[in-house]
Amino acid sequence: MPFEWTMAWRFLREGRGQTLFILLGIAVGIAVQVFIGTLIAGLQEDLIQATVGTSPHIVLKGEANSNEMALPNDAEAYLARNAGNFGEQSALIGNWTRLVEALEEEEGITAVSPLAQGNAFAQKGSERQPILIQGVDLKRADGIYQIQDRLVQGLSRLGADDVLVGNALAQKYQLKVGDPLMVELPGGARQSFTISGIFDFGNQNINEAWIFMNIDRAMRLLGYSGRVVQIEVQVEDVFSADVLAEALSRSYAGLTVTDWKEDNADLLVALQSQSSSTYTIQVFVLLAVTLGIASVLAVSVVQKSKQIGILKAMGITSRSASRIFLLQGGLLGFAGSLVGVVFGYVLTQLFLWGTSLKTGEPIFPLVFKILPTLGIVAIATLASIAASFWPARRSAKLNPIDVIRG
Amino acid sequence: MDPCLLQACEVTKVYGTVVKTKVIKGIDLSIFAGEFISLIGYSGSGKTTFLNILGALDQPTDGKLYFESEEVTAMDDRALAYFRNRNLGFVFQFHHLLPEFTVLENVMIPSWILEGKVHDKRKARAKELLELVGLQDHINKKATQISGGQQQRVAIARSLINDPKLILADEPTGNLDSESTEQVYGLLRDINKTIRTAFLVVTHNDHIAAKSDRIIVLKDGMILRDERVTGKDDEAVWQSVAPRYCKHCQKASILK
Repeated sequence: MPFEWTMAWRFLREGRGQTLFILLGIAVGIAVQVFIGTLIAGLQEDLIQATVGTSPHIVLKGEANSNEMALPNDAEAYLARNAGNFGEQSALIGNWTRLVEALEEEEGITAVSPLAQGNAFAQKGSERQPILIQGVDLKRADGIYQIQDRLVQGLSRLGADDVLVGNALAQKYQLKVGDPLMVELPGGARQSFTISGIFDFGNQNINEAWIFMNIDRAMRLLGYSGRVVQIEVQVEDVFSADVLAEALSRSYAGLTVTDWKEDNADLLVALQSQSSSTYTIQVFVLLAVTLGIASVLAVSVVQKSKQIGILKAMGITSRSASRIFLLQGGLLGFAGSLVGVVFGYVLTQLFLWGTSLKTGEPIFPLVFKILPTLGIVAIATLASIAASFWPARRSAKLNPIDVIRG
Repeated sequence: MDPCLLQACEVTKVYGTVVKTKVIKGIDLSIFAGEFISLIGYSGSGKTTFLNILGALDQPTDGKLYFESEEVTAMDDRALAYFRNRNLGFVFQFHHLLPEFTVLENVMIPSWILEGKVHDKRKARAKELLELVGLQDHINKKATQISGGQQQRVAIARSLINDPKLILADEPTGNLDSESTEQVYGLLRDINKTIRTAFLVVTHNDHIAAKSDRIIVLKDGMILRDERVTGKDDEAVWQSVAPRYCKHCQKASILK
């Protein structure tokens, strides 16, 4: 081992209690950083997942109030016009097959799903309940809604007469797979479908109101004449959805593009301020750790002044004398933060265990991320080296003749 | 004559910026290879300051210092550190061993600084030196686990590890009892005779001084006397030195 390393190591080792206490101090600080970082990241991820995990990040609709509303003059079209369906607010999108294909080519987009959506009623005996028809291409819709994974009964299949219903609706009307479901349009027209599967989206409203239907069937039923209400998109990086949406609205003129961030501005502000306060805590913890190291090493320089003096007399340079203390700072920071990471990890596991005592499942999952943790170790080590600059300078400036006479 | 090792030219040292105290007042001195020199004088005569300047631990205010015709006073921090490590050995009143290291490690530190790591050859040499100072049985003890006299002997072994040409010692026995003092001086003299290392020893002990090759007496920052005493009768030399500079004999000399 090079001379300065050995010297630094011996000084630390012989410091015993002093070294141990500062190591523990660093470890506790880093543990807090790791724990809070993991906690907040987990919480935010959980919130984001709940908000946009299984919903579109970007929605493309026809131009609002456009004059392209010329629906064909037939019975279904009449119904649609008077049914309070979406066609009234914004134009339907025709020629969407090519649009979907084009969108799938765009970079950063992970799923594209056209949607023929419309209001209707589910009828059972004399009871009626409003429902939302979601006419989808099941394979594409799975990319956004993960219907397959959320099916609790039956098959994920949408033939011409099939529908998938939520478990709340199924419970309310005591429906099971294979049962017929009468769907009544606002205009009064009725059609019967067969329930092929029952899903649970973990959301009462959705479970009660949504029914998934084959997209072609839905377009015909709602009188959209081969057009869809909107095209839904999921993206790789949810936080840059707005940038992508902006780009899409430029390249696809005539479409209104909205992204989830517009609709969730409050949530985003909350997340932002949460992140800010996390960083603030971490910075101050780091500052406290750094000051602790600086003060311990400053004391150590005084304690070891005789040793440094004699070493200088024996031929170490001032730079070498300062490096001995920079190395001590670095070693303390590195070792302390590694121990701190272990403590922090234990804390996260304790949190998971503690919060799952009652329900059997933790409040929200914590993902212990290696990269940010390594970042914390690196920053702590660098800060510790920085903290030892002042003691190192004193060590460099120490004049051997001031100490060797006793 | 042996070649000149260290040469001081018109060296002065002034302390203080407002009230200036001239501690060394223009000293010229040459130290030759293999010499055993005693530097004596009252407290405050500038002995230690002069020794620190000669050892390149302190910079003279004026004047130049040469080591084997290389100008030491012109060296930067790095060169000075290397110079001290390579050519000089130090023994101080307080041994200044590093308590974090064992006896053997302490002896090896100067070679370690020089070479960056521990060579087996150096380790063997360190063991040899510890044998020379009679501490072969204590090499793995911590520096704090041995007696004061033993610690000083370790410091002597340490000063020799890089085979320096000159060893500067500042009251190496000032802290030891008389028996240890005799032992340490005997050792220094033996080393001087066998390895031909030059010694400059600051001492208060005039009996020791009397046994040197050369005695330099410092008074008020100037050389009062510089005398080669080799071959002279010990008793006569002691008589010429002691009455004036021995603390204990001071009163007697005034009475005379």
